[in-house]
Amino acid sequence: MRWVTAKRLILFAVLVAVTLAVIRVTAPEQARQAPLRSQFRDVLAPVQTGLTWLGKQGRYLISFPVSMIKATERSRALEQEVTRLEGQAVQMNEYVLENQRLAALLDYKQVMAKNYNFLIASVVGRDPGNWFGTIILNRGSKDGVKENMIALTPKGLVGRIVSVSGSTCEVLLFTDPRSGVGSLIQDIRTPGIVEGTAGSSGMARMINISNDAPVEIGQAVVTSGIGSVFPKGIPVGLISGIRKESSGLFFSADISPFADLNRLEEVFIVTSVNPGAIYPQGGG
Amino acid sequence: MQLSVFSPLLLVALILQTTILDAMSVAGVIPDLVLLLVVLNGFLLGPREGAFLGFAGGIVEDFFSGGYIGLNALSKMAAGYLAGIAGERLNRENITVATGVTFFSSLGGLIVNYLLLIYINVHIPPLYALFGVALPTAVYTAVITPLFFWRFFRLVQLRNRDL
Repeated sequence: MRWVTAKRLILFAVLVAVTLAVIRVTAPEQARQAPLRSQFRDVLAPVQTGLTWLGKQGRYLISFPVSMIKATERSRALEQEVTRLEGQAVQMNEYVLENQRLAALLDYKQVMAKNYNFLIASVVGRDPGNWFGTIILNRGSKDGVKENMIALTPKGLVGRIVSVSGSTCEVLLFTDPRSGVGSLIQDIRTPGIVEGTAGSSGMARMINISNDAPVEIGQAVVTSGIGSVFPKGIPVGLISGIRKESSGLFFSADISPFADLNRLEEVFIVTSVNPGAIYPQGGG
Repeated sequence: MQLSVFSPLLLVALILQTTILDAMSVAGVIPDLVLLLVVLNGFLLGPREGAFLGFAGGIVEDFFSGGYIGLNALSKMAAGYLAGIAGERLNRENITVATGVTFFSSLGGLIVNYLLLIYINVHIPPLYALFGVALPTAVYTAVITPLFFWRFFRLVQLRNRDL
């Protein structure tokens, strides 16, 4: 082998080895957000906002001739209303079940919407690839946003904030493979962990469901509030498939999120829990 | 392709990918414009330049997305290199060949990406990774290749004439 070729090969091997090491040490959960990146994201935010708006308009223009003008708008409005009401119904069911169990013991005033303070944020960007599921919102530390606050829509859970710059923040969707949400199946109160599959899938799966639990397709899954940053009782999704895990001890279930995570436009950021709220804010 | 030409194209691709392309997603999957840029570079300019620009483009994307620095750099370097090897052996002036090379090189790069995800303990079910992410992304990226190929081809020809 010629010396020049050998030298190139060695250089290449060193480059790959160094990059592999860098990948390990720059895991988002280990590295704090670099100031340079924060500034870069803040500068780009207005451009991203404009282009996202253009994208929405483009999508609207493309769909416009295909559908009937007023019927499209009306049907969309009705669909939104139905999904909003479905989300509300699940949430109401959650209150009813919870109240039935606890009312005899404690005098809880438990209306979730009254427990939280919200901030409305628009989605201005998303992860450039298809593996991970993150979105960029147009609210940052100037608006009081902090890491580990949660994002949701009227339909259900979206994810948690993992990094914040001056005027933007990044949300890790719960369908991201790096995400894990302590949850329970609403009707049967069986706990499990909802983890993402891949960002582009818009799907998640619930693992570690006890194999003696009467799990059924169509059951609703809500956050359990145990050992996570997510408060209790937020609608997560519906069970759309069930299988036995390889160990035989647990079931796992496919979860279709209530919120359409591939078509998010505006989300709520929970900035604080009102005094008297029974659910924990933030934490491990 | 010189970095002075590649860099603005890369920036435009990244901004489009995080904004407008979201509106064009099919079943949640968007085409990978950076991957397309890297693959076409490799296909038209050879494996060395393909690998170099793949690494450069990937590392910028890593900084842009705030994820694991080096993840996209290595996977896109692999895609650029594969496209370069294919370009040396196949007809570079045929749009069908370019589309096919984009598909296979993208798929190769995405599989490298998946292996790197395993390396950093991000576990995605293998069947889902292949049929839910890698194949749809490679197909979608290949499908839009004809929209850009001739513009790219002329850009590279112009650059070669200048040298």
